[in-house]
Amino acid sequence: MLEAEATADMLFMTQPFTAPAITESTEQPVEVLLVRAVLSGERDRFARLYEMYAPMVHGILLARVPRGEVDDLVQDIFLHALRKLHTLRDAASFGPWIAMIARNRAMDFYRSSRETVEVTEQMAVERPPNRTAKEILDMICRLPEAYRETLVLRFVEGMTGPEIAARTGLTPASVRVNLHRGMKMLREKIGAVAGQ
Amino acid sequence: MEDNYLWDRSGEPDPAIQELEAILGTLRYQPRLLEIPHDNQIARRRNFYPAMAIAAAIALFAILLGLWFSFNRRQAPVLQATGDKQIVTPQAQGKPNAALQALVESPTPKTIQKRSEAPRNVLAVYKDRPTRTVNRQPQLTPEELAEKEQVLVALRLVSAKLNLAQRKAQGFPQLNTIRNQHKIG
Repeated sequence: MLEAEATADMLFMTQPFTAPAITESTEQPVEVLLVRAVLSGERDRFARLYEMYAPMVHGILLARVPRGEVDDLVQDIFLHALRKLHTLRDAASFGPWIAMIARNRAMDFYRSSRETVEVTEQMAVERPPNRTAKEILDMICRLPEAYRETLVLRFVEGMTGPEIAARTGLTPASVRVNLHRGMKMLREKIGAVAGQ
Repeated sequence: MEDNYLWDRSGEPDPAIQELEAILGTLRYQPRLLEIPHDNQIARRRNFYPAMAIAAAIALFAILLGLWFSFNRRQAPVLQATGDKQIVTPQAQGKPNAALQALVESPTPKTIQKRSEAPRNVLAVYKDRPTRTVNRQPQLTPEELAEKEQVLVALRLVSAKLNLAQRKAQGFPQLNTIRNQHKIG
């Protein structure tokens, strides 16, 4: 039933995609204006980019690294992006660029200090999350990487499919497929846990 | 539809998805100020033009310096063009007729590198090029020619006497000195 509905809906994936209204009157994406302003010396404009993209970076990290490490890593990633902003060739690609930095930083986290994961898990007890939320997040983190990032951005950060596509640089069709397949696998996992 | 709600929250809401949104929404990003350290500067795009200009200037200077040294080294020996285009080395320059005497007294012909009178402005020189040898006969004065003639006559006499002595020692019959007179003269 669910599979049939997902398949039927996927037939409409070719419909034209309308990006969210994130442009200004100059018809240039806000990111372009902000990146140019920061590069010309207005560092306080970077705060706006941080506000726009911090939830996405947070979601990407949450799908990969322990929750207690995410907040500090978000700050580190944005500071690194500020230092390396001059290497960004296309200012309109700021979202995909910083998403890639976040993914690479998450991989570096596991490469460099795996043993610190245990310590930070214990430190996270200071602010215990909702137990059910943590359990579901653990289930999502056991899904394939392509699905887990999309699902975290959808359910945790509250972004819609078109927003995820626009911010991460993925195609809307890929995001839609990842959402549907990931949701299907998550339902199976939740059902298996509930049945035990 | 459920799938539309999953995609962009349009259509009929799915209770299961709404429950997931409510539960997982507690983990949502909490806005936090970005603390930018003062030493965190935006790196500028590197401009290589000044460095390249400096490197090009240094290279050009080195090339010009090399050419200047090469040109000066070619001009270092004193070129003294004589009437018959002979070259006098600096060692022989202090003594008059020293080069001429060296040519006369030397049993073997001197090797002289022939060079043009005026130095040419050339960029490169092939130094291993084989030099041409010029065997010049010395220009002798009449007195010197007379002395030379006397020396030659004396040498001939000595040679004839040695020949006779050798034949006497070996017991051979003496040569008809009268018959061989034309060889001596």
